[in-house]
Amino acid sequence: MSFRTKVFLSIATTAVVSVWIVAAVVSTLVTQSFERRDALRTTALVNQFQREFVRRSSEVARRVEAVADSVEVQRLALDLSGHAETSPYFTEAQTLAQEQSLDFLELVGPDATIVSSAEWPARFGYKEDWLTASDDWKSQGVFLKKEDLADGEALGLIAVRTVKAGEGVLYVAGGRRLDQEFLDSLPGAEGMRVRLYRQPNGATASDSNATVTTLPLRGRDNQLLATLLIETSRADLVALKKYIQGTAAIVGAAGVLLGLLLSFWTASRVTRPLRSLTSSVREVASGNWDTRAVISSSDEIGQLARDFNGMTEQLVEQRDRMIQAERVAAWRELARRLAHELKNPLFPLQITIENLQRARSASPEQFDEVFRESTSTLLAELGHLKTIIGRFSDFAKMPAPQLEPVNINQIARELIQLFEPQLHAAGRPAVETRLLLAEDLGDLAGDPEQLRRALRNLVLNALDAMPAGGLLTIRTSRSDSKVAVEVSDTGEGLTPEECDRLFTPYYTTKLHGTGLGLAIVQSVVSDHKGTITVRSEPGTGATFRIELKA
Amino acid sequence: MRLPGWVWLALCSLSITHAIAATRPHYGGSLTVELSTGQAAPDPSQWNTALSIPITETLVRLNPRGVVEPVLSVAWQHDPDLKRWRFSLRQKVTFHDGEPLNGATAAPSLLGALKKKYANVSVQTGGQAIVIQSSEPMPDILSDLAEPPSAIVRQNDTDPLIGTGPFRITAWEPGRRWVVAAFDDYWGSRPYLDSIAIEFGAAGARADIFDIPAGPSRRILPEGIGTWSSEPRSLVAITAADANPTLLEALALVVDRAPIVNVLAQRRGEAAFSLLPQWLSGYAFLFQSMPDVSRAKQLVSKLRLGPISLSYPPNDPFRRSVAERIALNARDAGIAIQPTPNTVNNPGGNLRLVELQLTSADAAVELKRLSGQAIPLDSAKPEALYEFERSLLADHRVIPLVYLRETYGIAPRVHIESSKPDAFALHLEDVWLQP
Repeated sequence: MSFRTKVFLSIATTAVVSVWIVAAVVSTLVTQSFERRDALRTTALVNQFQREFVRRSSEVARRVEAVADSVEVQRLALDLSGHAETSPYFTEAQTLAQEQSLDFLELVGPDATIVSSAEWPARFGYKEDWLTASDDWKSQGVFLKKEDLADGEALGLIAVRTVKAGEGVLYVAGGRRLDQEFLDSLPGAEGMRVRLYRQPNGATASDSNATVTTLPLRGRDNQLLATLLIETSRADLVALKKYIQGTAAIVGAAGVLLGLLLSFWTASRVTRPLRSLTSSVREVASGNWDTRAVISSSDEIGQLARDFNGMTEQLVEQRDRMIQAERVAAWRELARRLAHELKNPLFPLQITIENLQRARSASPEQFDEVFRESTSTLLAELGHLKTIIGRFSDFAKMPAPQLEPVNINQIARELIQLFEPQLHAAGRPAVETRLLLAEDLGDLAGDPEQLRRALRNLVLNALDAMPAGGLLTIRTSRSDSKVAVEVSDTGEGLTPEECDRLFTPYYTTKLHGTGLGLAIVQSVVSDHKGTITVRSEPGTGATFRIELKA
Repeated sequence: MRLPGWVWLALCSLSITHAIAATRPHYGGSLTVELSTGQAAPDPSQWNTALSIPITETLVRLNPRGVVEPVLSVAWQHDPDLKRWRFSLRQKVTFHDGEPLNGATAAPSLLGALKKKYANVSVQTGGQAIVIQSSEPMPDILSDLAEPPSAIVRQNDTDPLIGTGPFRITAWEPGRRWVVAAFDDYWGSRPYLDSIAIEFGAAGARADIFDIPAGPSRRILPEGIGTWSSEPRSLVAITAADANPTLLEALALVVDRAPIVNVLAQRRGEAAFSLLPQWLSGYAFLFQSMPDVSRAKQLVSKLRLGPISLSYPPNDPFRRSVAERIALNARDAGIAIQPTPNTVNNPGGNLRLVELQLTSADAAVELKRLSGQAIPLDSAKPEALYEFERSLLADHRVIPLVYLRETYGIAPRVHIESSKPDAFALHLEDVWLQP
């Protein structure tokens, strides 16, 4: 993730989170304020409803009392006491209800039989058993009651009065509806709605955003008859919250946009010297040690550039010192190896010459014999010296590779063929060979002589590693743009320390090695822009893998 | 003081004479009538109340016992096939406009009335004779000719209705008022009244005679006002064309007719379980039954009913109250009926609350008319009438509820000549006024 992106995300996140927190706090405070206001308004409305309920109850009681005292009811009571026919009074309740503005009025005989019903005239002759079953309505004055009507049910404020009719009584039960019209007469506040639900368990708000307060309405036997539903619309609150959210979204978006601009500006301000410094670092990494970072400011980045330049200068100095030290060390090592290598043949030469000098005093026959032996020895040792010097000379004179199409498989086959006599020489444990060559290997651009020499050194190394015989495997493979060749032995293997130092010039694990074989291999591979690795564990043999560009 | 014997005799004679004079019919006077219903035109075919104002007459009439009596026709004969009928018209009968009654003046009215029933009927006249002929037998032609639509009338451009009856129209305001006067050239006895003024759509109970409609009205009769009620003249019933038969059976079981008669009709009717009332058929009591709500519930429990409508005429408060009562009764059995002033189509079926007028005193004629079936029925064979009526009611397509009487308030000065008692109609030609 780029620095610019990080800066942008930081600024944008900070802006969005800040705006969100502010919006949430404001929204919460507004909600609480609205809820307090709604609670106050709801309480006021409930109180108003209860006052109106009481007022209408008194009115109903007064009107029913007036009906009970009317001449018509008194006459009906008189007729009932005389067991006269009551059918002429069939419509009396309607007339009386109309006169007293009552929605419900029933004149009920002593046996609970309806004589006349205003709200459902057809119900004459039916029973109103609740009047005679219990007289609990007497203690309640006016009470709520669910009235059956031809077109359903209605809730009414009912009062009952009795008129003496001979031995029995005539019941006058009347009242007024408690309906939406009644509720609409309540002074409501804006955004508040009062409704009446006669299904006690089915009270739901008509507006999903409304706050609902319920007030149970119970009848004379404490049965829940209906629920008063006070809906307080939260439309204003919802609108305000939407406005806050919208504003927050706009501010947040503006913050993001500002963050984008700031991130570009900041990044350009901050990353320009950093990019310059990065470029300098890359130059140094690529070997251009003379590169210096441009110091364009005096801030931390300028200080960083100054430190970088100081560090580079120190590194150059240290590199030069190290190169010089390495050169000295290399010369010392070379001198040591050269002295060591030359010391071995020089000592026989010295002995031989001393023998030859001493033999001068001997008989001519003895001298001739010594001379012949000595000269033979001298030639042999001089040959040895020549060989040593040739090797050093070869290492020193590694020529640049002459690239041409080379087939590694072909080189591998030729090497095996070349070493065939040595592999199965008499008196030496046999070394088996196995060629696992990839058929699709193709040619690569390389110097065939140098590559052959490198592979030969690896094969010689492998043979040296298997004095008791074993299996020599050469495997080639191709993947993507690389060609790999592996030379494996089944010898004693190498320790990790040996693996680390294996390609160091003049390092050898053999008694009479010069330590230049693998160094030459590495030099060849390096000149071909390839890599060489070794994989080995003690007791499991070793595998050298060369990877070259195809 | 002791009065002599002749004085006592004279006093007794005076009092007896006065008593006889008070009950003796008196000619003259103008009668006022108020009817709550309207009458758009003085058409005898539409005049179907118990209040009889004879402006027109028919060839024959049925007396209260259902026996055919001559009116404008004095004699009649028919061939054995009942396809040819010959009527001899009464002599010296004139229409209200002075035109004499003969075959030529009577034929147009007869032909117009008979054509409605007998498509290929023809009327031939010759002097005072009329021959009615058809290709099909006409066994009920006497009953047909006794119906008001078969009245012999004449029409011109100035008079609304010209008949031969004892009263003639002297003034007419359509739908509001009629005035009829005694027809001095009437072939029969002159009516007692000189004139009758009839107000329609009035309900003030201020007239000499006024109707008291059936229904839960709170009309209080003024002091001294008497009433006259006819025998049941109409049947209020539920009819159903497309309702479930089981539903109808349940409905017939659940309806309690007594409250309808006693309260809604204010006892101006009788509970009806049959098409014809007891006074007409003599066997109506055989149909009586008691409400059986349990059985109705049992029947309804097997049904899956939708809403059912019961329609009634919009301007009939009595039938509206009956419909509401029936809906209440039906609810006891779990039947949801919606009374409605207009016919609506409900998935559960559509019932109608109708009032069927009884226009004849002949049970067989009424049964044939109500059933709409032209089958041979004889009033002299009540068993056949009973079986036929029972078959008509078996599927409960018609559920009789209540027979209604017509009731009129009668002022104290109004007297009804009782020499020709007829409980089916109040004949104003028999009414006289106390001076």
